[in-house]
Amino acid sequence: MSTARPQVTPPQPWAFPVPTEHVLGNGVRVLLHDLPGQYVLSLRVVVPLAVSAEPAGQEGIASMTARLLDEGTASLGSDEFAELMERHGMVLGAGVSDGGLLVDVDVSQRHLATAAGLLTQALAAPAFPEDEVRRILRNRLAEIEQERASSAHRASKEFARTLWDPADRASRPTGGTPESIGALTRDDLVEFHATHVGPDGATVVVAGDLTDVDVLAVLEATLGTWSAPRHTPSARPVPPLPAADAARVVVVDRPGSVQTEIVVGRPGPDRSTPHGWAPHPVLSFVLGGSPSARIDAVLREEKGYTYGIRSTFRPRVAGGTFVTSGSVRSEVTGESVEILLGILDGARDGFTDAELRTGVDYVAMTAPGRYATADAVADESATLALEGLPGDFTTRNLLAVNALTLADLDAAYGRVVTGEWTVVLVGDAAQVVPQLDGRVPGSVSTVAL
Amino acid sequence: MPLDYPIHRRTLPNGLRVVVSPDHTVPNVTVNLWVGVGSRHESPGRTGFAHLFEHLMFQGSKNVPSGEHFEALMAQGARLNATTWFDRTNYFETVPKGAVELALWLEADRHGHLLDAVTQENLDNQRDVVKEEKRQRYDNQPYGNALIDLYAATFPQGHPYHHPTIGSMEDLDAASLADVHAFFRAHYGPDNTVLTLCGDITPEHGFELVERHFGPLPASAEPRRENHPQLEPLAQPVRVERRESVPNDRLHIAFRLPVDETDEFLAAAVALDAIGGLSTSRLVRRLVRRDQIALGAHATAWGFVDGASLGFVVLDVAPGQDPDAVEAAFVEELTAFLAGGPTAVELEASLAQSERSWLSALASQEERADAISHHLLLHDDPEVVNTHLDRLQDVTAEQVLAAARRWLQPQSRAVVAYLSAPADDEAVGDVAEDSAGDSDAGANVEEVA
Repeated sequence: MSTARPQVTPPQPWAFPVPTEHVLGNGVRVLLHDLPGQYVLSLRVVVPLAVSAEPAGQEGIASMTARLLDEGTASLGSDEFAELMERHGMVLGAGVSDGGLLVDVDVSQRHLATAAGLLTQALAAPAFPEDEVRRILRNRLAEIEQERASSAHRASKEFARTLWDPADRASRPTGGTPESIGALTRDDLVEFHATHVGPDGATVVVAGDLTDVDVLAVLEATLGTWSAPRHTPSARPVPPLPAADAARVVVVDRPGSVQTEIVVGRPGPDRSTPHGWAPHPVLSFVLGGSPSARIDAVLREEKGYTYGIRSTFRPRVAGGTFVTSGSVRSEVTGESVEILLGILDGARDGFTDAELRTGVDYVAMTAPGRYATADAVADESATLALEGLPGDFTTRNLLAVNALTLADLDAAYGRVVTGEWTVVLVGDAAQVVPQLDGRVPGSVSTVAL
Repeated sequence: MPLDYPIHRRTLPNGLRVVVSPDHTVPNVTVNLWVGVGSRHESPGRTGFAHLFEHLMFQGSKNVPSGEHFEALMAQGARLNATTWFDRTNYFETVPKGAVELALWLEADRHGHLLDAVTQENLDNQRDVVKEEKRQRYDNQPYGNALIDLYAATFPQGHPYHHPTIGSMEDLDAASLADVHAFFRAHYGPDNTVLTLCGDITPEHGFELVERHFGPLPASAEPRRENHPQLEPLAQPVRVERRESVPNDRLHIAFRLPVDETDEFLAAAVALDAIGGLSTSRLVRRLVRRDQIALGAHATAWGFVDGASLGFVVLDVAPGQDPDAVEAAFVEELTAFLAGGPTAVELEASLAQSERSWLSALASQEERADAISHHLLLHDDPEVVNTHLDRLQDVTAEQVLAAARRWLQPQSRAVVAYLSAPADDEAVGDVAEDSAGDSDAGANVEEVA
């Protein structure tokens, strides 16, 4: 026996947690999220830093600087620093986006003071020991080879190279090339750190259960002492310039591949777009966000050609991309690309009421769960800080999502999608290229892996 | 630190074990079911079937059309998926609290009445999807075969963990509608299932809803066989070499371990942390930082219930370095550990990192519900979420040394070496059944999407 399908009660309105805001003695902005029950604290430090400010020929120096922050400081050797982190159950990660350096630390509540102290040393006084510099650069060169061997990584790299103007920093990997990494020296890194990493314009976010913790006193005694006399914040990044010949098909030859990695995309907006960010996550969901979205309804559930294809608007601090990606088995590459482009272009004819409703409900109603943990809240707060967006952006955006109309959805899609696509296929060229004949617009070129 | 996540437990007359764990910090409820069937229960010639079956659970049941499980829940703001692993299969969704009854109704319909809706067409389609999943995650990845080779090298033919959850292409091809019916009848039923509700719900309401929708299902699963007896360590080293186009040489070194949730397993896991799991482990200090003959060193302990667990170390050999020298250095470090045991600092670091990662995992309702179901199904003890850290704290240096001496002897290792140098032979070694070119590897559970 079975009972009748239950009715659903709609959820109550929900808001992204609002942080309290403070300023340390040295000007560093502090955002605190007290989240009872979240026993692991998430610390994030963001420093505005445009990757386009890297000196010519030194692409990747920002990333390598980030990686070397915890490889030895003025007072601690690399091993000593690592051991202190491990003994206090702390993890530290550092990386860069187009608009900034982001350092994240997770640590249990009782070790906050130690973690904040080590984080401060890493930011303010990294020593860049010659031995560690050489090791990290050599590891990065090996990592570039590993990325080349992975279809998904290789596709992302070729996509950026094809989509953006060759003179634009965005056309080259954030982590650098073998040539640029191979040329870096310790002096380059020391100089880059001294002039590009400092407290001016920096924001620190702490999220988690702050019961009985004097966070501000801890931060004042640690990150509040951070100074960098030669640091000048870099100018706010600008959106990358698309290549004049971005609308074409590039096949990266990866002989023996049993699948073809597909990336199809266009330049897209950032979250500061004056037209409003709200429609974009809904569009992502409707086109390529679930097995019943437009793309997987055909390529996965009807044809069985793929495990899943995803569409995403990926905002940068400035500009962004609209990317659809996934892999299909080699034999059906041509047909799959044709179907995929047909679905993406066909969506310019408009979305349906049902799609609007489910897309809006999914994006709006999953928000409480997506921001339920300290690390998710800290990540969002830090990203907002880097993007220069206000702390209520997330909540206001959800209200805007709920108010979306079909016309809003269609207009947002029309602003991005013109019928011209950058298409990158990583697969066995001998098998793939003949399948493309008459199925894709524009020129097809083949490059080596 | 003492944890006190609430655990309210009840067993329905049909055998369904239920836990409700209220947490009112987020207006969501996670519904999480674990079924006591995984790839360890598969019969020869039908590897990969538990996972293929899991996909079919999304293709409709008595009162739910194909694909509607995803659609109906996502439209209510649910995030959902399912995974299959050696020991079990799980199904889960996190929904706004007003949709929890809908989620339970959908789950009860497919867990009780799947066979009313299964069709040859859906089986054929999901077989294709799973084959693409296998290609994407294993066959088309560098080192793709490694873990599958490792399972086969470590566990004897016919042992539950000898073959991977993803299975083989031939076996997937062989799966029939009759197999689907037999598998459901043998393994699915409330008496072989546990259900956890974690989130914004009271125990009374939670139990009432579960009883309403799952109470009518009859106990129907076949009795479980006894778990296999504990497997002894390998008596002598096993070695498998693969020569492929990989970016650098990589060694995977595995050991049989005691079954999960034993003091000896916890102690062996601490030993592996000290040897290769921490960022300050002996292997990182020696191979990565000092000698710089490896790019990275990692160690993992996976707890299983059916006669053995698996511990393994992965060593990325630096370009131009001799993999045999790396392995010899590994054996040296292991031998030194077996002579002296862990240092106080190693014990402290292992405990601190385990504490943080355990608390991070429990920070989200989804993962907490999953941990509760895990220990309820496989160990009949959902309180482990609260007691695990206390047990870890009690692990002594003597226990770690004793466990290491019993389970981590150099002669008990199975080595799978992926070597980038070209060679005439496809493979040498004693893993005959994996040389067909269709095997693969993955560090993760198989998901539906």
